[in-house]
Amino acid sequence: MMVGGQNHQTAGPGRPWTFYALAALFGFFLLFLYGPMLVIYTLSFQGPHGGVTFPMVGASLVWFADILQPGQMANIPVSFERSIALASIVSLLTVAISVAAGLAFRRRFPGSGVLFYLAVASLVMPSLLVGFGIGLGFRALDTKPSLFTSALGAQLTWTLPFGLFAMFAVVNRFNRAYEEAATDLGATAWQRLRHVTLPILLPGIIGVGMGAFTLSYDEYARTTLVIGERNTLPLEIYALISSATSPTLFAIGTVTTGVSFLIIGVTLWRILRLQRRRAGATPS
Amino acid sequence: MTVVPLAVAALPRLGRLASASRRLPPWVVSWLQVSPLAFVLVVLFALPTFLFLVVSFWDYDRTGIYPAFILDNYRDLLTTPATIRVYLSSLTFAVVVWAVTLFLGFNIAHFLIFHVRTAAARTLLFLLCAIPFWTSGIIRTIAWIPFLGRNGAFNQIVMGLGLTSKPLDFLLFSSFAVIVTYVNLFTLLMVGPIANSMAKIDPALIEAARDAGASRWRIMVEVIIPLSKTGIALGSILVFTQVMGDFFVVKQMSGGQSASIVSTLATEIQAMQYPPAAASAVVLVIFVALLVAGMMRIVDVRKELVK
Amino acid sequence: MMRLASQRSTPGAAVEPRFDVELVAVTKRYDQTIAVDAISLRIPPASYCCLLGPSGCGKTSTLRMIAGHEIVTDGDILIRDRNVTDLPTARRGTAMMFQSYALFPHLNCLDNVAFSLKMRGVGKAERYARAQVFLELVEMEEFAQRLPAQLSGGQQQRIALARSLITEPQVLLLDEPLSALDPFLRVRMREELKRLQRELGITFIHVTHSQDEAMALADLMVVMDQGHIRQFGTPRQIFEAPADAFIARFIGGHNVLPTPQGLVAIRADRCRIGQAGNGGQFSGYVIAVEYQGPVVRVALQMQSGEQAAALLPDTTYFAAPVQPGDSAMLVWSEADAHPVAVS
Repeated sequence: MMVGGQNHQTAGPGRPWTFYALAALFGFFLLFLYGPMLVIYTLSFQGPHGGVTFPMVGASLVWFADILQPGQMANIPVSFERSIALASIVSLLTVAISVAAGLAFRRRFPGSGVLFYLAVASLVMPSLLVGFGIGLGFRALDTKPSLFTSALGAQLTWTLPFGLFAMFAVVNRFNRAYEEAATDLGATAWQRLRHVTLPILLPGIIGVGMGAFTLSYDEYARTTLVIGERNTLPLEIYALISSATSPTLFAIGTVTTGVSFLIIGVTLWRILRLQRRRAGATPS
Repeated sequence: MTVVPLAVAALPRLGRLASASRRLPPWVVSWLQVSPLAFVLVVLFALPTFLFLVVSFWDYDRTGIYPAFILDNYRDLLTTPATIRVYLSSLTFAVVVWAVTLFLGFNIAHFLIFHVRTAAARTLLFLLCAIPFWTSGIIRTIAWIPFLGRNGAFNQIVMGLGLTSKPLDFLLFSSFAVIVTYVNLFTLLMVGPIANSMAKIDPALIEAARDAGASRWRIMVEVIIPLSKTGIALGSILVFTQVMGDFFVVKQMSGGQSASIVSTLATEIQAMQYPPAAASAVVLVIFVALLVAGMMRIVDVRKELVK
Repeated sequence: MMRLASQRSTPGAAVEPRFDVELVAVTKRYDQTIAVDAISLRIPPASYCCLLGPSGCGKTSTLRMIAGHEIVTDGDILIRDRNVTDLPTARRGTAMMFQSYALFPHLNCLDNVAFSLKMRGVGKAERYARAQVFLELVEMEEFAQRLPAQLSGGQQQRIALARSLITEPQVLLLDEPLSALDPFLRVRMREELKRLQRELGITFIHVTHSQDEAMALADLMVVMDQGHIRQFGTPRQIFEAPADAFIARFIGGHNVLPTPQGLVAIRADRCRIGQAGNGGQFSGYVIAVEYQGPVVRVALQMQSGEQAAALLPDTTYFAAPVQPGDSAMLVWSEADAHPVAVS
């Protein structure tokens, strides 16, 4: 969701007093957003004899090491792998389904209204209830809920509406003349999709994929009732919280944040590179 | 080959019929493209919702649940004072959080769109706001505990600065903590849609208003706010539904002083008491649906999103 | 000089097709509105044809129907005596140049131009070689590796042109190709287009709302309004003898005035400010005087309420200058008055 484009700012030198007021508010907001996170990052280096609150009793990496030990209450590395696997699949499915649906919604077709509001409903429905319904369904079918069936399905009800609405924005910016030009030059519908439509939409599509990955990776409310026996990372953390609180929790927080940063940062960088190349920022 | 165009022109009536069947009508193409989405939404959302609607009328006892059609679950639910209390409590949280996130979200969006000058700075600042969103809600929630606790960072800072002599107790395990956490988690849901709406405002409108002598305040009230209605409505819907549907934050941050609708539900589910849980779910869904429908009357969501 | 395969005669054909493009009672209906109403048109081989008219007159719909981007509601379209009405775009022998050029932003110029060949499965070496040839045709060979976003408007247009021409169309369709260019560039590109059309020897159909452009370029000019063809002919034919008042006003440079014999159109440059004589005359007063260099435009308001203008050679004006507010008489000779239908 990149905002920008038009120039809304007041011209001329100097800033109205509202600028400083709002800037201050913004600064406070950033502090407010990051404050707790900084606490976590700091406490994850808590000394071996320290507890979950201040003061810091020395500093160590002991709690980071603890993550890697499959404890009796939680197995972090394994649940991390599961989270990544699930998020990857959810991301791929979301992209494929949202892109197709986004292209479909360019016209009004019979039933498009119903589908649209169904997607909105899926988005605003309290997450636990979705899991509840799916869980009931699985019980009725006498199947056990599991990671790549019920949990996957539950997460899709969350990521697909986001993906769909993101695709609306992406597709709206797409000039249909490109497709007409491709047809004019002899492309079949399939060639058009492969050589023109998808390449041009690619930055947006990557954005949807990354968004879906993040949404899945951090998701806990929809999956908690239908995860089966093998937890994803958020649910493992949830279990840890209820049972034992130690700075390991914070170490996990630091690590997962770092991982998110890495993945999203890399993707963003690649999207920006793609866009910059196409916008011709380097005329010779 | 002599050609008489009119004679040739007579043939295509048949040709048109043949070729029309070669080209798929557009609505069929759309349906093919949208069918996976339709499948997921119907099978994984609509059907399960219908399922717990059905189960809400079933009977249950200590040993299991039985298909039936009774209204007892609803009666029990709606006549218990606890239900009213928890709904009021959730609703209060929702309204307060909505007000705070609206204030914060609107001003931050306004700052980003109308005061930040370069697109690069704007993107950077927006990213800065979005980055925390990439970390799980669970972690961000429990992050507040060491921050707001008696020995937490905030109290340390405040005492260090000499503003109080005793640690502030109300900060954690209270309604205050719940609200603070919600605001932390959900403000971005306001900033995003509102910033989007604001970005779509034609700058010429604002210049015209300025030329006509409007003060900045009037421009805000007469031009910017009405044109950001969609974003405000969307953000409000998202914030409200997230708060009403939450079960984790309240449990962690209120220290047992408040319950949330969904956490009560979750307890019942864990006790395998599906019918009353389902009844509770249905009531919540209707409540949320009415809220959302109300907000959507203000703004035609479909037109705005698909535009 | 380059000749396309498309305009060499079909081997074995006894007779060349009489027309490159023929529209037979072509109609386009969108729901309840009729955009194009049963128009018929014949365009001779290798002509530059301009479709001219105000916005909404149906000229773009017509062009898109010839291209195949719009489905014909009724009627037929023939290209070189071949009925193409139901054929897909790629099989009609047409190529279209879009108003926004629609150059693929993710491909460089060479890939853009070679695109149609790639769709046909032509190998890389061969299609790049042919694309180079067409880049040279439009004098853009040094820009082969650039992306469209790095080009100016005029340069993008040339690439779009090369991309269309590589398909060797029998008819090139241009949708307001010059509207996005600044006035100086417009005149230069006009010359280029005309030159290209002559060299290639194929038909160009060029949609525009600018009468200057149409008159400068067209062999055959087609004036459209509200889905109908109002008049077609050479620019000279239309300018000398507009069929009705609408065309006279739209084409510019004419006064449309009521006389006892009916409505007439008189060329503004054939009008003079002077004394009543044995020709037509109208009295009124001057409302504006516009110096335009070689001519001076004097606008008058007639007593009857009509407005008219005279385009006087500068020497004529300055011999007897008039000012706004002066009463004056517009005169012309009978021979220059051309009766027009009420539109």
